[in-house]
Amino acid sequence: MRRSLFIYLAPHLFGIIGENANVMKRALLGEFEEVVMLTVAILDEEAYGVTVTQEIERKTGRSVGFSTVHTTLQRLEEKGFLSSQMGGATAERGGRRKRFFTVTAAGRKALRDVKQVREELWRSLPPQTLQLITG
Amino acid sequence: MPNAQKPNRRSAIPPRWATTLLSWWGHPDTLEEVQGDLLELYDSWVQTVGPRRANWRYVANVVKLLRPLATSNAKEQYTSPSFLSPAMIRNYLTIAFRNLWRHKAFTAINIVGLAVGLATCLLIVLFVVHELSYDSYHANADRLYRMTLHGRLDEKEIKLAYANGPAGQALLRDCPGVEAVTRLRKEGAFLVKHGQEVIKEENVAFVDSNFFSMFSIPMLKGNRTSVLTEPNTLVITETIARKYFGQADPIGKTLSMGELGLFRVIGVCEDVPANTHFHYNMFGSLPSVKTGTKWLASGAYTYLRLREGYSIQRVEAISRGFVSKYMASEIQEFFGITLPEFLQKGNGFRFGFQPITAIHLHSDLDDELEANSDIKYVYIFSAIALFILLLACINFMNLSTAGSAGRSKEVGIRKVLGSVQKQLVSQFLTESVLLTLLALVLALGLVFLLLPSFNALAGKEFTSGAIVNGRMLSGAVLACVVIGLLAGSYPAFVLSAFKPITVLRGRIQAGSRSGWLRNTLVTVQFVVSIGMTIATIVANQQLRFIQNKKVGFDKEQVLVLHDTHVLGSKLNAFKAELARLSSIDNVSLAGFLPAGASSYSVDGIQVRNGARISTHRNKSYFINEDYLPTLGIRLKQGRNFSKSFPSDSSAVLLNEAAARAYGFKQPIGQQLSTLGDGTEGSKRTYTVIGVVEDFHFESMHQRIAPLLMFYGGNNEQLALRIQTDDLPSLLATIERQWKAQTDTPFAYSFLNERFNTMYQSEQRIGQLFGVFAGLAVLIACLGLFGLAAFTTHQRTKEIGVRKVLGASVASVVVLLTKDFLRLVVIAIGIATPLAWYAMRQWLQDFAYKIDMAWWVFALAAALAILVAFVTVSFQSIKAALMDPVKSLRTE
Repeated sequence: MRRSLFIYLAPHLFGIIGENANVMKRALLGEFEEVVMLTVAILDEEAYGVTVTQEIERKTGRSVGFSTVHTTLQRLEEKGFLSSQMGGATAERGGRRKRFFTVTAAGRKALRDVKQVREELWRSLPPQTLQLITG
Repeated sequence: MPNAQKPNRRSAIPPRWATTLLSWWGHPDTLEEVQGDLLELYDSWVQTVGPRRANWRYVANVVKLLRPLATSNAKEQYTSPSFLSPAMIRNYLTIAFRNLWRHKAFTAINIVGLAVGLATCLLIVLFVVHELSYDSYHANADRLYRMTLHGRLDEKEIKLAYANGPAGQALLRDCPGVEAVTRLRKEGAFLVKHGQEVIKEENVAFVDSNFFSMFSIPMLKGNRTSVLTEPNTLVITETIARKYFGQADPIGKTLSMGELGLFRVIGVCEDVPANTHFHYNMFGSLPSVKTGTKWLASGAYTYLRLREGYSIQRVEAISRGFVSKYMASEIQEFFGITLPEFLQKGNGFRFGFQPITAIHLHSDLDDELEANSDIKYVYIFSAIALFILLLACINFMNLSTAGSAGRSKEVGIRKVLGSVQKQLVSQFLTESVLLTLLALVLALGLVFLLLPSFNALAGKEFTSGAIVNGRMLSGAVLACVVIGLLAGSYPAFVLSAFKPITVLRGRIQAGSRSGWLRNTLVTVQFVVSIGMTIATIVANQQLRFIQNKKVGFDKEQVLVLHDTHVLGSKLNAFKAELARLSSIDNVSLAGFLPAGASSYSVDGIQVRNGARISTHRNKSYFINEDYLPTLGIRLKQGRNFSKSFPSDSSAVLLNEAAARAYGFKQPIGQQLSTLGDGTEGSKRTYTVIGVVEDFHFESMHQRIAPLLMFYGGNNEQLALRIQTDDLPSLLATIERQWKAQTDTPFAYSFLNERFNTMYQSEQRIGQLFGVFAGLAVLIACLGLFGLAAFTTHQRTKEIGVRKVLGASVASVVVLLTKDFLRLVVIAIGIATPLAWYAMRQWLQDFAYKIDMAWWVFALAAALAILVAFVTVSFQSIKAALMDPVKSLRTE
């Protein structure tokens, strides 16, 4: 439920911000994308398809498909939020190399922006509503 | 760590089909990590949720990751540039030049061999294309035909290039499919007088007025369709116009044509193109000359143009009726028998129709306008061109594959450094194409250099413009590129397919892999060379045989004076004057001669032998009493003509063949009569007074035919039997006397030279064969030399070891040489029967021919072995003499 709500709201939120705030160009960052990016950031040097998938599962308890994670990673790289590099040859997994992801400067900025937007939203909640939610 | 899977648990393997599916249709750019990630995940799934669900998850993920339409757009980190990028092409060229330069000897052998092959091929293509182009330039050439006369008359086959005089008009009248008919008559040479000048013109024809609308010889001045309608009008070619009139306009001017009187020039046409089956330069109108109206006593070269869509077979069918329709009455008149009787005797006439484009190469009838060529020679020369090119290409391939041994390491290193096969193939192909193009440049140079001598040899007049035209040149370049690609493809693909690891370990001896191919190619080369050598020897033997065969007359020391008829009544005085000279033995009127320009007469002869009357069609001479001694023709029986027998005007001499043909046991005193041209009085009866020994009055392609000699003499030429060591002064004397009588130019020839020119085409073929055989041997040797150099180089170390172990120089030489000699011996085995068969076919053309002796084949074989031995031993002796220390120290 939470997820779908955010997806529906997000464009409208950004639209409002775009109208009255100083930040003009902000890329859209979906909720899942945000999760993936944060996971990549958490894993630091060790972020590749498998670790990202497993980490998300562990941290969120959600069961996510590898294919979804992979596709998201690809999309984020296309958007310039992630960069990737092939690692060295490995002994396991048939000797195939891993593609390691790191968050780019643009990615970090996007994460900060999302966080900021969210914090602003939280801040602007009337106190009684806030109590309703947190309580 | 999340990726803490057990690498040892290899027991579970994801569904293979899914893996395959992914490898086909996964996104190519991320395939490697996706496969790896999935494998890794699978392993952990197997541990956590069991193999069944692991499989399920694996497949589900694979299916979601399929991107069947995705194409790679990733820039790899270290991309190999496209093998056709400009930088790579520049690199190929640089490397190619360096490589060629490093192996100078190899390159030189390759280029020279290929250039010689290409040059030969170019010249032959030039020749063949020209031969094939004969008469095809006429408008509607496909609808033009020549009507010819065939038949049988008293056991003698008739095949004439012309048809009966009225035949053309009859065709036009009776056959609706014939659009136009034009006729041409030749009347021999004319002495053309213009002002004070008298020039002999050999190429004069008399043609119908529509001649120029049938044959596309462009008219420069005068009306194309309505020239030559009146008698004594003339169309001349540009060259003739310039010769007589210079820059002045020739139209309306007059020229005096021999006895035919004044002709008015009414047109100028372009020179008749070289690729035409006739080369006349003066065309008189047909009404200027007498053309008989009798079918059996007139003839003209008859050409017709068919209507579109009408078949020549229908014309032929209609022409079959002509014999009964038009010729029956004349047969009665000339032969004294009715048509059915005539036919019953096995006699008959029919008409043939040759496409005009086929005349030059396919027609070999009597009385052709010019000696035609033969399609056989086109085939032979095309084959030779192909063979020589093949030899050159074989060399090229051989040397390249042999050279590849030295380059396998290079290939290995290149591959290790990231070269892909495409680049290597391009590299090698660039080298070979570069080589062929260099060879082409050299070949073109050679062609320009050799063109004059080739022209002399082939009897053509090619200019350098014939080669430097777009079609020829682009064809040559294209052919070169194709040859380069073909010849380079074997080494290119074989070399580039080497596995770097085996090559760098030194396991592959690249040269030895293609051993059987190279052996086959070398054998083929030698088969061709040996075959051509045999052909050359046999052809030359046959020619020498002809030239030395007893011809039945003494052709040495006979001087022939031309155009003596211009002296007219002064001729006898002139003759007597010459006869008084001490160095002249005999003088005779000699319009008829067995060699070279000669008058020509064919008579219908009726012979009564007992009760049987037979009719023959034989050649006849008109000679005077001096003729036989002058030419050295011996009498077998009877006597020569003599002034002291006034009755000799109705006497005749026969040759032995005639006496045999007529069935005369005792020829002397027998009677025969000529049929004449059908007019009363042209039939005359003659008595045989002597028989002369057979002599070759025609070329040796034919058996000696019957010949009759009547008393008379033709004053067009004089034959002089001379006996002198000082020919120039004799000639000067004769010329002085000639000049005193007339202003006609003094022209002479020698009988033996005239005789030899009869076999000019055979001599040409012989010479050409000699040249080509030489070239073939040369190319084969170049190839062998290069190959020997390489194999010797390859075996350097082996030789070193052998020498250290005590091998003698001789044994090493034998070792290196015998491989090649074995190939040559095999080639001899193949070439000998082929050449024997081919040359036997060629000799069939001669009525008098040599037998092929075994020693010819032995000689060719010995030559081939010798040449091969010398070529190879140069290398092998060098290798055998080398200090083993040097060869073993390498590496």
